[in-house]
Amino acid sequence: MSAVRRTIAALRGLFQRRRLEAELDEELRFHLAMETEEQLRQGVSPGEAKRRAVLELGGLEPTKEAARSARGYRRLETLGQDVRFALRLLRRNKGYASAVVAALALGIGANTAIFSMVRGVMLRELPYRQPSRLVVLHQRDSRDAETDNNFSVLDIEDLRRRNRSFAGLAEYHSMWFNLLGRAEPERVQTGVVSANFFDVLGTKAILGRTFKPEDDKLGAQPVLVFSHAYWQRSWGGDPAVVGKTLQMNDHPHIVIGVLPPVPQYPEENDLWMPTSACPFRSDPRALASRRGRAYNVFGRLRPGTTLAQAQGDLAAVNRALLAEYPGDYPAGGYQIEAVPLLTELTARARPTLLLLLATVLLVLLIVCANVANLQLARLNSRGDEMGVRAALGAARGRLLRQLLTESVILALLGAALGIGIAAALLRALVAFAARFTTRTGDIALDGWVLAFTVAIAVVAGLLSGTLPAVSASRGIATALRSGGSGRPGPAGSLRLRASLAGVQVAVSFLLLVGAGLTLRSIAKLQAVDAGFDPANVLAVAVDLDWAHYKTPELRRVFHRALLARARSLPGVATAAYSSNYPLDGTGFRTAGVRLEGREVADSEVPQAGLRFASSEVFTALGIRLERGRGFADTDRDGAPRVAVLGHALAGRLFGAEDPVGRRIALAFDDPPIWHTVVGVIANVRDLALDQDPGGAVWVALDQRPALAGSLLLRSRREPQALTAEARAMVHDIDPRQPVGRVQTLETARAAALAAPRLTTILLSAFAALALVVTVIGLGGVIAFGVVRRTREIGIRMALGAGRGAILAGVLGEALVAVGAGLSVGAAVALLLAPVVARLLFGVSPTDPITYLAVVSLLATVAALACLLPARRATEVEPSLALRTL
Amino acid sequence: MAAEKEDLLQGTLDLLILRTLALEPQHGWGIARRIQQISRDVLSVTQGSLYPALYRLEEQGWITAEWGISENKRRAKFYRLTRAGERQLVRETESWERFVAAVGRVLRTV
Repeated sequence: MSAVRRTIAALRGLFQRRRLEAELDEELRFHLAMETEEQLRQGVSPGEAKRRAVLELGGLEPTKEAARSARGYRRLETLGQDVRFALRLLRRNKGYASAVVAALALGIGANTAIFSMVRGVMLRELPYRQPSRLVVLHQRDSRDAETDNNFSVLDIEDLRRRNRSFAGLAEYHSMWFNLLGRAEPERVQTGVVSANFFDVLGTKAILGRTFKPEDDKLGAQPVLVFSHAYWQRSWGGDPAVVGKTLQMNDHPHIVIGVLPPVPQYPEENDLWMPTSACPFRSDPRALASRRGRAYNVFGRLRPGTTLAQAQGDLAAVNRALLAEYPGDYPAGGYQIEAVPLLTELTARARPTLLLLLATVLLVLLIVCANVANLQLARLNSRGDEMGVRAALGAARGRLLRQLLTESVILALLGAALGIGIAAALLRALVAFAARFTTRTGDIALDGWVLAFTVAIAVVAGLLSGTLPAVSASRGIATALRSGGSGRPGPAGSLRLRASLAGVQVAVSFLLLVGAGLTLRSIAKLQAVDAGFDPANVLAVAVDLDWAHYKTPELRRVFHRALLARARSLPGVATAAYSSNYPLDGTGFRTAGVRLEGREVADSEVPQAGLRFASSEVFTALGIRLERGRGFADTDRDGAPRVAVLGHALAGRLFGAEDPVGRRIALAFDDPPIWHTVVGVIANVRDLALDQDPGGAVWVALDQRPALAGSLLLRSRREPQALTAEARAMVHDIDPRQPVGRVQTLETARAAALAAPRLTTILLSAFAALALVVTVIGLGGVIAFGVVRRTREIGIRMALGAGRGAILAGVLGEALVAVGAGLSVGAAVALLLAPVVARLLFGVSPTDPITYLAVVSLLATVAALACLLPARRATEVEPSLALRTL
Repeated sequence: MAAEKEDLLQGTLDLLILRTLALEPQHGWGIARRIQQISRDVLSVTQGSLYPALYRLEEQGWITAEWGISENKRRAKFYRLTRAGERQLVRETESWERFVAAVGRVLRTV
């Protein structure tokens, strides 16, 4: 109530200011007149009476000021005044103002940009119905918590029947299919899902409908739902697509709907089909297998069920299944884990984003310290103004507020510019985030991001303004006493400036160590022996349409024709075909491996990656052969089956024994088909550069003709130049056969390095910014100290002090600050080391080389930043300095 | 520390002003004179704090002001107690007496 009344009074006061001022004036004049009369009555002379009256009133202006501030409107009015005054001052000091605004804009803009990613990827709710109830299930081996073993059709049926915590469980996997019926055959990534998938997510079609239970019955008419992105990209957003019939997997498929733009996990699918439409998933063997674990499960928690309750429920169901079907699980069984969908979607991005956010906040802290330093310097030269204003009746609090208003205005100007910087960077940031998460559609400069920006701008303004303002208002008392000679202020502010520089050094240390570690890490990653030679190799994805290449014989004919034509292409040194190539980004197929003469329980069969490849594949990929031989053209259909093992796998299977000549079988072949090991190849980091190679089994393509794979061309010329010829060649052999992704192995390798490289570039840029700002801050402290001590230096030089002594005196405080900053920075960095450990490859987070390099870099740069302005001290002309005494 | 002292003085001054105005409407100078006279020159209102106090009380709605003509035929601003002000005076008087009594008891006993 009283707050309302005070506000109304304040607003009224603001508009009736002139009248209220006049009244105040008249009232005080009346008081003076009465007081003067009273004095006269007591027999004092008229002049003296008036003087005493004023004296008694306590000085006219301060009384007026106090009376004014008793009225609420003062506060609003002074704010307006402060803002106007601040703007006028800044206009007069364009250089200073633009330096400060530019520094703050960089600091704040970096924060806005990074926060927009954090907000879009991590904080924003997923665009599904009640997204916090959505989870992803994982089935993990107790001995290997990293790998998700997925679920089989029977697993999922049992989970659905027995659980009590889920309103729905949906099945998902993703495949590449060829879509026919348009001018060009097209490779499409297809999500294969149970009919309830979109109901579980709570996603409704924007056009047509999603799946109904009838769509998922065996033998039902196959139907397709388009993703929004694919609909836009490939069909130009044509609404007439719903109802169209398209050819796929040898069947007509009817398009029934289009999805809204929602983030997808784990793959970005072009289109979706029910499980019954997938030729592999609807295979009777898949339907009856408990061990064919290849499918993901999404769940929606029942209302009122917590994640912990669901976890307990799943554990109980899992125990029961383990007891009923012990032969279908490895020893020790599996654990089923439910992870919130948002966590799952952002897991890979989170550490990097948080690291970047911490970095930009630290950069802003350095910028604030520097702005505070600049303000201190300027306030010292404004000491006289402050003194005069204080003497004229300005209250200390009022001056403080004026100074804070100034710095907040600067910060807000910086924020406005910073938002511009962030907006310009946004597209690049989205591309960056896309390397970690499919959730990039939600990155935008929305209200939250703007509010965050304004908030940190105000905090930055207050942070950079408080210290100088307090120090300045404390110095007011001394300002006038020193006679307004324009000498910069008290010694305390020099110490303050030195400590601010120390803070900058400490924070810079942190950022430089962070950047240094990631730089070393990426250098290691780049230099890591990946086990293959990516130079001059072109990979052309040729995934056969299974509907046309149903029998191994048909595929064999295609493969042989393809290789024969490719080997005769001019410029091609080696041509091979392989189901996979290093860093191609596709999930590699795995299989259990049995050794001849060694009986192992089904659940204990060692697992290994499985590759299908033609002759010359190791030459084409530049993979070193360690023992025996690679595949030859003689390893044909009908010839004895052969296999080649990766180094790590050979060790895992045979220990120190020589595997060449031994026989192995793939666990899924029943009865076993024995392959003779003919060779061992060096370790290849083909899944990820930072992942230790697990080794794989390679089998001969002609003996097991795979459907999916790439033609690998090692070229004598620029490999990219082969693209058109390769395409034409495939088209020549089979006009219905689409060509998939075409890229060089160098490109694939660069893509695998892109995310860590971008992170490193960002961190390095921020660290460099921090370093520059710190150097400016340090230099400023020294220069300021020299100016303040010109007289003292002059006297000391006149008394015969040497240059060294003078320099030591000037450098003293700054060097102490640098030293303290370095030690604090190092201590904090060592403390934080474990946090960054998992973002690094092959470098310890306490890597001594990085720390030493950072210490020497900072020390050298700091020394230079200090010495250059300090030299001015030794150039002081004693006679000149003394004359100004 | 300075703030505490000011608050105490301010509170006391407010009470004295309200009490003075309870007798009759009065202008600023008159209030100051009256306090000084009644307290037999013991309490002298620091004039610089009188007007801020008056404005504050006015803003709180305990007194109102209107322009009138003073005893020596000058235009002057007269302050008058409002109903809310009267209630406030009773409250403040009570709490002041409680305070004085309490301090007195302490001084007598300890």
